[in-house]
Amino acid sequence: MRKKTFPLNNWRRLSQILCFSLFLFLFIKTDYTGHDQLAYAVNILFRIDPLLALCTSLAAKAFIQLMWPALLTLIFTLIFGRFFCGWACPIGALLDFSQRFFTPVNKKPNSLFRSLKYYLLGFLIIAAFFGMPVAGYFDPFSILVRGLALAVYPAMNVAAASFFTFTYDQAPQWVNAITEPVYAFLRYTVLPFDQKHYDLALLSLAILLTVIAFEKIQRRFFCRSICPLGGLLAVVSKFSLMRGKSGTKCGKCTNCQDICPMGAIDQERNISPLACNLCLDCVDSCPGNKISFTFSPATVVPQVFNLSRRTFIGSLAAGAVLPLFLQTRSLAKQGNPQLIRPPGALPEDDFLGRCVRCGECMKVCIGNALHPTFLESGIEGMFSPTLKARIGYCEYNCTLCGQVCPTGAITELAVQPKQQTKIGNAIFDKNLCLPYAKGIPCIVCEEHCPTPEKAIQFRMASVINSKRETVNVRQPYIVDELCIGCGICETKCPLPGHAAVRLTSAGESRNPQNALPGTSAPY
Amino acid sequence: MDRREFLKQVSMWSAGLSITVPHFTIISEALAAQRQAPVIAYAKGKDYAALVSQILDSLGGMEKFVKSGNTVVIKPNIGWDRNPDQAANTHPLIVKALVEHALDAGAKEVKVFDRTCNEARRCYVNSGVQDILKTIKSNRVTFFHPDERKYIPVDISKGQAARRLEIYKDALEADSYINVPIAKHHSLSTLTLGMKNSMGVLGGKRGDMHHDLGQKIADLATIVRPTLTVIDATRILLRNGPQGGNLNDVKVLDTIIASTDPVAIDAYATTFFEMKPGDIPSTVAAYKHGLGEMDLAKIKIIKT
Ligand code: SF4
Ligand code: SF4
Repeated sequence: MRKKTFPLNNWRRLSQILCFSLFLFLFIKTDYTGHDQLAYAVNILFRIDPLLALCTSLAAKAFIQLMWPALLTLIFTLIFGRFFCGWACPIGALLDFSQRFFTPVNKKPNSLFRSLKYYLLGFLIIAAFFGMPVAGYFDPFSILVRGLALAVYPAMNVAAASFFTFTYDQAPQWVNAITEPVYAFLRYTVLPFDQKHYDLALLSLAILLTVIAFEKIQRRFFCRSICPLGGLLAVVSKFSLMRGKSGTKCGKCTNCQDICPMGAIDQERNISPLACNLCLDCVDSCPGNKISFTFSPATVVPQVFNLSRRTFIGSLAAGAVLPLFLQTRSLAKQGNPQLIRPPGALPEDDFLGRCVRCGECMKVCIGNALHPTFLESGIEGMFSPTLKARIGYCEYNCTLCGQVCPTGAITELAVQPKQQTKIGNAIFDKNLCLPYAKGIPCIVCEEHCPTPEKAIQFRMASVINSKRETVNVRQPYIVDELCIGCGICETKCPLPGHAAVRLTSAGESRNPQNALPGTSAPY
Repeated sequence: MDRREFLKQVSMWSAGLSITVPHFTIISEALAAQRQAPVIAYAKGKDYAALVSQILDSLGGMEKFVKSGNTVVIKPNIGWDRNPDQAANTHPLIVKALVEHALDAGAKEVKVFDRTCNEARRCYVNSGVQDILKTIKSNRVTFFHPDERKYIPVDISKGQAARRLEIYKDALEADSYINVPIAKHHSLSTLTLGMKNSMGVLGGKRGDMHHDLGQKIADLATIVRPTLTVIDATRILLRNGPQGGNLNDVKVLDTIIASTDPVAIDAYATTFFEMKPGDIPSTVAAYKHGLGEMDLAKIKIIKT
């Protein structure tokens, strides 16, 4: 018998740490780094996700080329089973790590609601096909990146800034001699360049925390019972080549069952390939060294899908029928004019079909312009990106969002076509705009308008101001043909509260129905 | 109030030792007494680094403005995500030349920064300033993005439109402040010249400056007073300022001018656009504050 000097478990930990570090590295690199083109495939995590690949391809009714790496995941799963969940998945690593802070209430080896993930998977796939793409609500990577990008990372910056502002303001010189270089180093390496602010930051955080808090129910409860990606990998693992084999004549100890974080081992010590994530903890824990993982499949009957046929059909039917109701809303007739999609976004239906709500575009947007929608694009559009021009604007020379989008929901545009893509149109509110409403000179908007021939121009007008004097002021107006909807005018408008110039989706080039009078191309 | 007393207030405030906002009063008479007939050095040519040397020479050399051991702030305009040809930002070669002269004059530290209008990193890169400053191998040069914590509120006792502004600490404390704007069109201020460039050291919501812009720029100029102003007119933006973007709006003049009088140099630069000093509200307002001369007849031009 071989003596275990380096427990298998440690190899897995190492792999998890490496994968998680790689994930964090790519997460931080999802940013402008001094070059217009991103140097790394920062979105690779989403492109190896077969759940998202399947759902977006079904929604698009075409194989999405960008997502071909997902096939690799499937091939590896066919060989090794659900190894991904145990060895690579960053959320899996996070759960394994958090597990030490929770004592699960349910200690029985059997998983609760084990089949839920299959119903969910069926529902998501069918719904995607029938026009309700909501996989991103449940996809583990989407949940993770969204939570980190929209809440955790910005909060980290708040924490660092508050701490180092405190030391800077209050601490004696010698303390600053230490803290200031540390702060500079952190800013240079891990901290975001700017403080960002996001819609739905707290909700995204709450969802991520809930997934972690599920550890209180059972170890890896999310992976066992909810994760639809796990469900898909489980289905594929049914045919995998590598399997765990338990000893036929072992004693009465239940070490392996007790230790299995996935509830994969039954009373007869059969290891279900559908649940097993190849963590190999059972191998290390077996006092008789009777468990082994080998390429000799199917000697053990895989645990059946334990699905209730009726419930399963029900979940499929729901996925097929619910989308019908989406068509009955007013939103189906008239899109929300406040919904501004990033430059290069596909027409709305295609866009929603492909958008996997991963938050990559929002993370990368250097203008802090992109935010997750709540209900602006309907219940099925939650967490898809929209531009909130009062918070931030689309930087004229920037093309990053198209570069990071893993599914092509935002087309990758070169700088020049991007600068000609109209994502909306600005309008003036003359009741607020100072030169109109109060006879006060301003035109900050015109100053910032980035189009080489300005989309904001002005006429001189004489106005009676609030002191009843007649004054000459420049009054701005929009030239629709030139405005590209970048929104910098709304962002920089110096008025408190509402801006006097506001962006709407009118005229967006992805939607010919939305053309403005005078700008419409014949179609 | 003299500058030394003011700086004491600034450092007490920023160290948290004082809760009263530093304030600054200028006494016009005192300024007038200091003032001699303003001189503008003018140089034209294709070699921008050489032009910088020429104008500095004709003003008596960089040593006149930077003493050995001084902390120097060089404040170019890097406000926009535009490249050097588009004439929205100060030409990187001019920035580089000035930094090198300051180093040669024995500066202890040369700080270069701007608070940008577009995304800060993009502006630093696309303007060409970041790359060119990297070629200067000296640890006495720092090129950085402004640090939020370093804006200090200042009461402007003589301010007419701006009574309190947040100003970057390094700009207030510098021994030598060299202002390096580019001359270009701006719809509201008519032109963006030297004094307007100082808006780059302001914190807070700068958009508010635009209501009565000319006066506010002049009020700011009572506090932020450059040791030297160098105006980049190597290429000027005639229309669609301040950021342009269209090369048809750019006119190449291959000219640099410099002066210690911030009003006189703005007044003179106006003529590049076929306008008169009186057309620029900030020039007029600063003249009335007693900050310098705007009468072209009283300004001495040294052509090199
Ligand atoms: S929305 Fe505009 S600024 Fe934001 S990432 Fe996309 S292109 Fe860049
Ligand atoms: S949105 Fe505003 S700033 Fe942007 S192009 Fe249109 S008018 Fe100009």
